[in-house]
Amino acid sequence: MKLLLIEDEKALAVSIVTYFQRENFICEWAPDYETAVEKISIYRYDCVLVDIMLPDGSGLDVIRALKRKYPDTGIITISAKNSLDDKIVGLNLGADDYLTKPFHLSELNARVQAVIRRRSFQGNQNIVFGEIKIDPAQHLVQVSGHEVVLTRKEYDLLIYLISNKNRVLTKESIAEHLWGDDADLMDNFDFIYTHIKNLRKKLMDKGCPDYLKSMYGVGYKFSEK
Amino acid sequence: MKLLIRIFRYHIFASIIALVLGASLFYVSVRFLIDREVNQELFSSQAKVSWQLRNIDRLPVYILQLGDSLQLNAVRFPRKPSLTDNTLFDKTTREFQPYRQLTFYEQVEGQWYRVTISKQLIQRRQLLSAVVMTVTFIAALLLILLLLLNNWLSERVWRPFYKTLGSLDAYKLETHEILQFPKEPTIEFDQLNKSVSQLTARLATTYQNLKEFTENAAHEIQTPLAVIMSKIEGLLQDETLREPQIMSLLEVSEAANRLSKLNNVLLLLTKIENHQFLAGNEEINLVTIINRKLRDLEDLIETRRINMQTSLVPTGPVMNAALAEILVNNLLTNAIRHNVDQGTIKISLEPGKLVVSNTGNPIEVAPEQMFERFRKVSTNSSSIGLGLALVKTICQVNEMDLAYTVDSNWHVLTVSWK
Repeated sequence: MKLLLIEDEKALAVSIVTYFQRENFICEWAPDYETAVEKISIYRYDCVLVDIMLPDGSGLDVIRALKRKYPDTGIITISAKNSLDDKIVGLNLGADDYLTKPFHLSELNARVQAVIRRRSFQGNQNIVFGEIKIDPAQHLVQVSGHEVVLTRKEYDLLIYLISNKNRVLTKESIAEHLWGDDADLMDNFDFIYTHIKNLRKKLMDKGCPDYLKSMYGVGYKFSEK
Repeated sequence: MKLLIRIFRYHIFASIIALVLGASLFYVSVRFLIDREVNQELFSSQAKVSWQLRNIDRLPVYILQLGDSLQLNAVRFPRKPSLTDNTLFDKTTREFQPYRQLTFYEQVEGQWYRVTISKQLIQRRQLLSAVVMTVTFIAALLLILLLLLNNWLSERVWRPFYKTLGSLDAYKLETHEILQFPKEPTIEFDQLNKSVSQLTARLATTYQNLKEFTENAAHEIQTPLAVIMSKIEGLLQDETLREPQIMSLLEVSEAANRLSKLNNVLLLLTKIENHQFLAGNEEINLVTIINRKLRDLEDLIETRRINMQTSLVPTGPVMNAALAEILVNNLLTNAIRHNVDQGTIKISLEPGKLVVSNTGNPIEVAPEQMFERFRKVSTNSSSIGLGLALVKTICQVNEMDLAYTVDSNWHVLTVSWK
């Protein structure tokens, strides 16, 4: 999978690139509009992450250029502006998703994977992790062929955990993924624990090994080891 | 007090002084003329009486009718003739009347007589009343004219002033409008209009600059925050980290998260206060928003075993849809956040009124103070303390009323609109 990150803040770009390289993505970085346009005219990417505010131009123009050349490429806009206008303009131009700074890298990762899944296989690709098979089109979860009935939040949580497999996920990032702006309503993170506990139980009831590891104090990790 | 009335007062004051002075002068001069006339009459009578007495011993009847009365008294010695004013009793009118008396002495056949001719000064009283009446009439006429003139002035001459005042009243900073006026023939009003135009132009620029600065500052903070958070996330993946280090990292991460949220809410507050959200032009059905929000918060409500009671009539205020969403969101999350486990939330929506009540712990401060920014009851709550401030601000810009009452353990927030 090939990614292009268009972001002028070097420190942030380095974090993102490192993060995706660990996920075995080929991740390239363009610090400005000029480089970005040059890169998208030469290479083909599976997903492009665009910061809307660039020092020498607008990320929206990059999206327009990209849409003309490779309309199938997934696009996620990143903006420091939490403004509805930018969001709508970006989505109207054909962007698939929108993230506002600051964000959790795990959240970005989950979004990138979702976009690639939708773009590359028309959303029909099943997500497989060990015994677990998820059909995103039908919101169907199976463990070794047996269906597991999950609530909406448990389903979202499972997708999020698998998208960020083998990584430590903070409770904060999980809470924000599941509840967005309402995440701060949880005075403590016991609440996530309830969902995690229920999810783990439902999976293990169908014979799934315990993939969910609690990292003391930090959060959770979904891994085979 | 209206400026014209103030000026009118001075006008009246000045007119009265002028009238009193003028009337006194008039009275004095006319009296002087009358007095001279009376004196001349008296002296001519004296000449006639003297001549009669010297040449003809008897006084004819017509002489006795000179003046208003004539008296002859025999005296031993003559004295100097004198002219005096006296008050005498008039038998016909039965009252005292002013008289001018000319007294002189005449010798008839060796005998001295004192002759006193009296002339009633009736004209003087008449004059006084005539002068007073005339002055009163002039004063009344003048006042009426001044009043009419003032009315006319305020309607015609002052019209540009009231127009400028009206446009200043209706002036809205957030529209970035620069007030422009047609050229006025009155120099003062033209100057006023020019100053107002310049002022609004400066205001618009300053406001624009300030707004850009606030927005830019808020946005620029988000990128460094993104860097901090991404670096922490990267570090957390390092398995060689020990627990104290992880704990520190988590605290930094939490602080950065909080800062970001704070920044977002403050930015939102500023935007609302600056009226950067377009005013809505249709009624928002709050029921849809409330139900959607309740669905989002469903599991939270269930986990805390909060009992939900709703009585919703499809209605709502005319306002911006995004703001209505934020309003409902903050009211509901506030009711959940400050609720007790197994508590109750009642939502009642009726025409012109949305009431959200929740059970909760009693608060020690006055309920109205909860609308202040960063006002929190507990310090360990993860809330940033801007929720109700946001609700208040939204209500203010949309001219809705927000009331917070606490009745034993019930907290009731009422939003009402027209």
